[in-house]
Amino acid sequence: MRARVVVTGMGIVSPIGIGVSEFWKAALAGQSGISTITSFDPFPMDGYRSKIAGQVRDFAIERFLDSAHGERVDRYAQFALVSTKEALADSGLQMAKENPHRIGVIVGAGMGGMVMGEREITQLYQQQKPHRVHPNFIPVITLNSASGIIAMAYGAKGPNLTISTACSSSAHALGQALHCIREGRADVVIVVGADASITPLVFAGFCSLRALSSKFNDQPEKASRPFDRSRDGFIMGEGAGTLILESAAHAKKRKARVYAEIAGYAATSEAYHMVIPREDGLEVAHTMKLALADAEVTPAQVDYINAHATSTTIGDAVEAKAIRHLFKSRTDKISVSATKSLIGHTLGAAGAIGGIALVLALHTKQIHPTANYDDPDPACALAGLSRSAQERRINVALLNAFGFGSNNAAVVFKQATAEDRRSKG
Amino acid sequence: MATDPTISLKIRSALGEYLKRDPAAIRVTHHLREDLGLDSMAVIELLYRIEEAFDLQIPDQDLVGLTTVGHVITYVEKRLGKAATPAKTKKTIKPTKTKGKKKS
Repeated sequence: MRARVVVTGMGIVSPIGIGVSEFWKAALAGQSGISTITSFDPFPMDGYRSKIAGQVRDFAIERFLDSAHGERVDRYAQFALVSTKEALADSGLQMAKENPHRIGVIVGAGMGGMVMGEREITQLYQQQKPHRVHPNFIPVITLNSASGIIAMAYGAKGPNLTISTACSSSAHALGQALHCIREGRADVVIVVGADASITPLVFAGFCSLRALSSKFNDQPEKASRPFDRSRDGFIMGEGAGTLILESAAHAKKRKARVYAEIAGYAATSEAYHMVIPREDGLEVAHTMKLALADAEVTPAQVDYINAHATSTTIGDAVEAKAIRHLFKSRTDKISVSATKSLIGHTLGAAGAIGGIALVLALHTKQIHPTANYDDPDPACALAGLSRSAQERRINVALLNAFGFGSNNAAVVFKQATAEDRRSKG
Repeated sequence: MATDPTISLKIRSALGEYLKRDPAAIRVTHHLREDLGLDSMAVIELLYRIEEAFDLQIPDQDLVGLTTVGHVITYVEKRLGKAATPAKTKKTIKPTKTKGKKKS
C-alpha cells in the first residue's frame, strides 16, 4: 500500500496578514489586501494602465529572522524563509531529532529574484559599469535561491528542488512533494510557494500583456472579482506560503497534529497557447479528473474547490465550464471560493496560498468568501460561490492552479482520518 | 605602517558594517577569513563595497594578496596614491537612447 501523506504545519506571508491566524481571520472577514502601488516611488505610475496590487506592507526581514540567511536573498526568498519558519514551528518538527537526509524542500516560484535583478540590470545599462554589478546578483536571481536558503537555514539535506511553471508552480510543488513522500524518498517535505515581483519592469510586462485589471484603479479593493460580470483582469499580488507535508506514519510516530491529508495530484499541459487556455475547458476538466483518480475519489465526493480564478475574462469562464463539465449535477453542491479575490494573484505562491486556504477550510469547517462576487456572470455560473463565509464540513476538496505555458495542475485534499487526529499527543 | 587615517577608517567602517561589529575592534592584523570569519563570497562582497567607497576597480590578479585588513588598507592606499588623476572628469550619463550600439 502506498504511503499516505498529511499536512502538519503551515505558514504564510500575504497581503492580508503575515501568519496563518491573521491571514485566516482576514480571509473569513473578506478583507481585501489590494491597494495602490507606492513602492515604485520615485518611478512615476502615470504610464501604467493598472496601478494597484496586493502588496505585503512594511515587511522587514530583520523583524522575523534572527539569522543572517535573509540578507543574501531577494524579497521572494525572504518571504519564503518567514513562512517556512512559521510552518516548521507550527508542525512541531524538531530538526535535531530527524534524519536530515529524509527532509526535503520543494519550492514553487514563478519569477524569483526580480527586485535585485531589475535593479542591477537597470544600473548596468544606465551606468555601463560591468564591474559594479553586485557579486550576489547571480546567486540571488538563480531561481532555486529560496529552496537553497531554506535547506541551509534548517539543515534539510533531502531532495531540494525548485519548480517554475508560472502561476501553477507551487501547486506542482505540493504534488511533487506528495509523490516524493509516497515513493519513500523523504519522510517530510517542506513545500513552499513564493513570489515577490511587483517591480516596475515586471508590472509593466503584465500591463503590456493586457492581463491586469485597469477599470478599478480608484477602488482597489473592488478590482479582483473572479466570476463577476465586470471582472477585467487579474491583480498582481505577492507573498509566500509553506506547508509541511509528511508521511502519515512519520506524523503518527512523532504525535504531530494533522490538518488534512493530501491525497492526489495531476499535472498536464494543454499544448495549446503560451497565455490563453483552451476555451472548451476540456483539458482543465481532464486535469481535475486525473487528480481525483489519483486520490481514489470520485467527482461525486468533492465538497469544495479552491479555484484558480484569477479574475480574467477568459480564465474564469474556462474554469467554471470545466467544473460543470466534470462534476455535472454535483456542481451545484460544491462550495467554491477564489482566494485571489482577497489578495490578488501571487503567481508562483498562488498554489501554496490557495492550498493553505483550502486546508484551513477542511480544518476549521469554514470557507472564506469570494470578494466582489456582486453580479454573477452567467458564463461562470457556479452555485457554490458566495460573497459570505460558508460553514461546511468538507471531506474532499480540490485545488486548481493553471500557469502560462499551457500548464495545468490539480491537487486533492481529504479530511484527516480519525486515526490521524488521534495521533496528536 | 604608513597609513592614511581616513582610508583605514573607511575600510574598517565598511568591515564593521558588514560584520555588524564595532569598527574599533577590527585590527589591521586580522585575517579576513580566519579571524573575521569571512568566507570567499563574503570577501568578494567586501571588496565590492571597497571598490564603491574608493571608486576603484580591483583586478582579479590582485585579490590573492588581500588576506588581512592591513593588506587591504595598504593596497587601497597604494592604488589611490598611484591613481593621480587630478582632474576627475565627471561623466554625465545620458539615458540610453541607442539601440545597443556603442559609439567607437
